[in-house]
Amino acid sequence: MMDWTYSAGLFIAFAAAGTAFWSLVKENDDLHRLILVDLLEVITLAFIALAGTDLAEALILPGLVVGISELMALSEIYLRKEGLRNQPRNMLRIEVMDSAPGIIAAVLVVYGIILTGFSGGAVAGLGILFYFTCKGHEEIPELVETASGCAWVLWIVAFFTFILLPQYWLFAVMTAGTAILIKVMAKMALVGTMRGGSDV
Amino acid sequence: MYEHLMENIGGPVAFALEFGDIVNYFSPYTLTLFILAFAFTVLAVVSRPERQIDIAFGGDAYTAKVITLQEMRFRRFMAIACGLASMGAMVSGDIFNFTLFTSMVGITNVGIVAAVRNRHVLNAAYEYGIVAMAATLPLFGGAAIILATTGTLSIWELSSGTWTVPAVAKGLLGLGVIGEGMAPFYAAKAEMFRAPGAPYVIMCSLSSLLIFLRVIEIIITI
Repeated sequence: MMDWTYSAGLFIAFAAAGTAFWSLVKENDDLHRLILVDLLEVITLAFIALAGTDLAEALILPGLVVGISELMALSEIYLRKEGLRNQPRNMLRIEVMDSAPGIIAAVLVVYGIILTGFSGGAVAGLGILFYFTCKGHEEIPELVETASGCAWVLWIVAFFTFILLPQYWLFAVMTAGTAILIKVMAKMALVGTMRGGSDV
Repeated sequence: MYEHLMENIGGPVAFALEFGDIVNYFSPYTLTLFILAFAFTVLAVVSRPERQIDIAFGGDAYTAKVITLQEMRFRRFMAIACGLASMGAMVSGDIFNFTLFTSMVGITNVGIVAAVRNRHVLNAAYEYGIVAMAATLPLFGGAAIILATTGTLSIWELSSGTWTVPAVAKGLLGLGVIGEGMAPFYAAKAEMFRAPGAPYVIMCSLSSLLIFLRVIEIIITI
């Protein structure tokens, strides 16, 4: 059963990759190609996820981080080569974006904390991203990055606890779960919020 | 425990550091590559950057390009990061770590020329970046298929001959590394070398060469 599902998944992933590469060949607009390449990264994560083990889940995070950092580097290059200096303001103004971000972000972050771990981080990150989109994000990324750095240290501490003091495994699990939540949240929140501002 | 590696391309293993089943090792082959990467990183640290001079044909007129200190500092940082990523890729005993280091080499290569205010160079860097990013699909895909079919990512374990690594996974891994800057995709990268700053742009070329040599060793060993 497992072999059949893996083969089917692999076939679909290869088909998706072929489609994405074909669209990349056909596309001429630079910005569109950047977005297509980002979709390609998602298929990459699908390849890793297909393995379906704990190790594969752990490998998705570095894969995601590398993909995001490449995307951000390329976005910066695109902005520089097109000479886009001023970040767009008031692109999308809907009433709900003025009134709701606080509550929606809070709901998502709380739900993310309940979920914990990788998926919790993704949900909470979405909440923070929504908040940034609606309320602006001057100087906030710096604070988020600091939190991300501290969370990474916590994560490492949890791993050392696992190795050196295995009897405190529950403490280590909770620490690692919280730390990865904050770290993934911070990484997710970065997407789309860096537009070559003064603090970048 | 891992005597089988002795007969492989890398030669006798001089040093091995075990982290569970992941073993980082130095064979004469990887050690040579590591020393090369290290030497060029040191070179990037200590050397003074060139000042590019354009000479006009048919006269004695020439123009010197002015590059700010801040820009050079950023490019040196990126060149050092590129060297460190190359060194990591040379000694890694884990296929996934190798692919991560390879992707990092791709990012830093773009970073080395990112600060240049030259539209042509930036266009080339963008094209290279698109190719490098697309190349992460075969790169990670290859590693993921190896993990799914064998259950391990350790090069030591895989080299023992207990598992058969599918040829398609090896091919994808090779294709991914080629996409990070070897021929035929080198064309996009070569245009980046028009950027001034001699000791730093050399890292773009050297790092791709080193990771390509390493991936050949990995593909033959596993």
